[in-house]
Amino acid sequence: MSRQLFQYHPVTGYHFIPGLKCRVEHESGGYLVRVNGAGFRCEREVTPAKTPGTFRVLLFGDSFTAGDGVSNKHRYGDVLETLVPGVEVLNFGLSGTGTDQQYLTFREFAAGLEYDLVIIAVLVENIRRIVAHYRPYMSAEEGERRVQAKPYFTLENGALVPHNQPVPRDPIAPEALPESERGQVDQGGNLATLRKVVNKLGLREVAQKFTRYQPVPAYDRADDPAWLLMRAILERWTRELKAPAVIMPLPLYQHVEETADSDAWRARFAELNGLPGVTVHDPFPDFVRVPLDERRGFRFEHDVHPTPAAHRLIATSLAQTVRRFVEGAPR
Amino acid sequence: MTASKPRHVLGISALYHDSAACLVRDGELVAAAQEERFTRKKHDPRFPTHAINYCLGEGFIEPDELDAVVFYDHPLLTLDRVVHTALAGGEGAAEQWVRASRSLLGSKLFVQQAVRKALGADVPLFFTEHHAAHAASAFYPSPFERAAILTMDGVGEWATTTIGRGEGGRIELLREIRFPHSLGLLYSAFTAFCGFKVNSGEYKLMGLAPYGQPVYAKAIREHLIDVKADGSFRLNLDYFGFVDSASMTNDRFAALFGGPARTAESRITRREMDLAASIQAVTEEIVLALAAHAREITGCADAVLAGGVALNCVANGKLQRAGIFDRLWIQPAAGDAGGAVGAALLAAHGHFGVPRTVGARDAQHGSYLGPAYSSAEIRAFLDKHGYPYDHVPDAAARNTRIAAALAEGKVVGYVAGRMEFGPRSLGARSILGDPRRADTQTTMNLKIKYRESFRPFAPSVLAERCAEYFELNGESPYMLLVAPVCAARRLPLPQALDATDDMLEVVRQARSDVPAITHVDHSARVQTVDAADKPDYHALLAEFERQTGCAVLVNTSFNVRGEPIVCAPADAYRCFMRTEMDLLVLEDCLLDKVAQPAPTEPVDAWRTEYELD
Repeated sequence: MSRQLFQYHPVTGYHFIPGLKCRVEHESGGYLVRVNGAGFRCEREVTPAKTPGTFRVLLFGDSFTAGDGVSNKHRYGDVLETLVPGVEVLNFGLSGTGTDQQYLTFREFAAGLEYDLVIIAVLVENIRRIVAHYRPYMSAEEGERRVQAKPYFTLENGALVPHNQPVPRDPIAPEALPESERGQVDQGGNLATLRKVVNKLGLREVAQKFTRYQPVPAYDRADDPAWLLMRAILERWTRELKAPAVIMPLPLYQHVEETADSDAWRARFAELNGLPGVTVHDPFPDFVRVPLDERRGFRFEHDVHPTPAAHRLIATSLAQTVRRFVEGAPR
Repeated sequence: MTASKPRHVLGISALYHDSAACLVRDGELVAAAQEERFTRKKHDPRFPTHAINYCLGEGFIEPDELDAVVFYDHPLLTLDRVVHTALAGGEGAAEQWVRASRSLLGSKLFVQQAVRKALGADVPLFFTEHHAAHAASAFYPSPFERAAILTMDGVGEWATTTIGRGEGGRIELLREIRFPHSLGLLYSAFTAFCGFKVNSGEYKLMGLAPYGQPVYAKAIREHLIDVKADGSFRLNLDYFGFVDSASMTNDRFAALFGGPARTAESRITRREMDLAASIQAVTEEIVLALAAHAREITGCADAVLAGGVALNCVANGKLQRAGIFDRLWIQPAAGDAGGAVGAALLAAHGHFGVPRTVGARDAQHGSYLGPAYSSAEIRAFLDKHGYPYDHVPDAAARNTRIAAALAEGKVVGYVAGRMEFGPRSLGARSILGDPRRADTQTTMNLKIKYRESFRPFAPSVLAERCAEYFELNGESPYMLLVAPVCAARRLPLPQALDATDDMLEVVRQARSDVPAITHVDHSARVQTVDAADKPDYHALLAEFERQTGCAVLVNTSFNVRGEPIVCAPADAYRCFMRTEMDLLVLEDCLLDKVAQPAPTEPVDAWRTEYELD
């Protein structure tokens, strides 16, 4: 019933279907999606040169950045354009991806463009996605569980080694995976079965509150292999840029609503401030400035993606940093 | 100077049958679709959440940009009629009341909540009256500045038939016939009695009529309906069950026509053929009389029609040939789905005062108001599933191949452009065949449509070649007029077959040099194809003519029996694989059946998926 939104791509795994224009049904009623000719959910077409007189920002991230759950115009990237005059944002956000795929998206689609700033939005959960080799999904046609291979990197002797290039096209049944690969499917966190049961019983919020479940423990140690991989990807990516980068970690709702601790992931991302040309913009303080009882409004009733209110907050937070770059840019 | 904000109105018809939604911007039709196309449930009556979603997506507007949502009838007035009927109908009406009130109290009175849920926003909600919506759906998109309006259906709130007048942006209803006296219900009573489904089988009854003789017409006039000279009528309720029971007819009705009703799917006998011919004849008499009265009281030279009875294209053809009006325009979604269009237009012009502009062509946009799927979307779908296809972006090369396949007798599924709004496929979601071949009708009926084979297929003809094939005065872009095949093309029916009870024997006899689309009485339900409305289909017809000398194609809806017409590429592919179609055209992609992977589902899976209509 829903329209197909994505098409296969051998390097990044997939991207949006170019030129798509539709409304996606959602618990909010629905949201408007428009995809540019390059296959990204962006109101602007991708052109090699920026619009004269503008400050061009390339924006990368996952569904929080692509805008699952909200119309194009309500996404923080689009709101940012309204808050900082003269900025044009090319949104390369791609739902369901990890930072690894976002880096590949940059290389494949954006590296040759003219730009003034790159914003890499890292939903903190992405640390789990970058170590996964597969992502699970439910096939719409057969209603069966499938896994789809994704591109990924391993860190070998300090160097990033790409895998699944080209990305295998066909999805497979989980039971068809080789034994060695069965643990490499992103299950959305630890204790997958228990979480499924708790969610089915409608006890997610209660369980979260009382257990203080930590959704992303890979940030706990600076030498955690997943963090080292994340750091390596971001280092390599930002090294390749022709302009400054802003890395923006985006918290999960457990962090925003303070049922999970944020110290570890914030500390890890703060370490990146020392990288050449990199500014870390952490929007978390702006989230927690909002009274706790209002923060529930930053996600939908069931869908944990940001609501328009959350997007506005992120945009407002990010605008402070972006303005500094715009003001310092040569005219 | 700043441009003023556009007026957006969303029309909704729902909760009876054929739910639909329509979006109008500044009085222009932007999008319209029936819910069944998305849910894959034929005549889906549920609140049209998916159709609304599509309309907002097509218009690319947020709910808060809507000036109003308009529901196509007035639930409280309908409830008033249901209560009155129950009180008047005595004990037997209880069942009727329970059924109707369940729908009304359970859903219709809570339209506001359903709208809020579908939109995720509060938008002003208006209710219009059912026949006002039908009238608006007929008049506003028509190419007439001024016209008589005739609406006829089963029942709205109270009205079953109205005569009105439209002028500029104004509509005025002048006369009405009220429930239980209903031409639509009369026709449906015969539909049910002949073993077909009410609200969908009326078309079959109409297709059956040419096989029979109107031997019961006198009995119908004498016992069932009293028709006055002005076309107004009263039913004799002693013969009907729809007021005081759950049945359309009763024992007296059966006794009048020689015994009990035909059981669904059983053999069709001479009696059903004659009953079909009889009720068709009476219906045509009434339609013509009403039209003549409408002309008289409105003084209008042109007329517009809507309501379920206006889908009776045989009656429409007779009305056109009768010359009562200079010109006729019929809303292609004449049934309840079209109420969404009327409701939206009524609010736009009637409430918000959006000026109406009348052009040389109508404002229905060929009724291509549904979703389209781009080549990129289609290729993404085919690639995702690994279905083999040829991508042929060059339209001329593509048409050459499609026309050649048709000329070889192959059956082609054709998906191109925006889906049609209304019950007819008009070359956007169609199954096409060669009309010259004697075996096309049988092949398409039995191998593709899986349905009764007495029903003829409809022809699509190049508009500029129409007169060479059909005795049709003017155009028929929406397949709503039946016209005779030109006399020079007709073939006589062998004498011995004239009175046979075996319809299949009759069907197998070629009736013209385009036998697949010629009915037993030499009639055809014509679609004229104009290059301005549907350039891709026009070009395909032109190529078929270039290759074969024939400017006609068989055009039937892209579905199997009981299935809603396909909407998305996945629906089309599924239907393609479930039937014996040879070639599938999905925009600029061509799929050969023999190249496809073997289907994973049982061959007759559709039989369990769709309830037979």
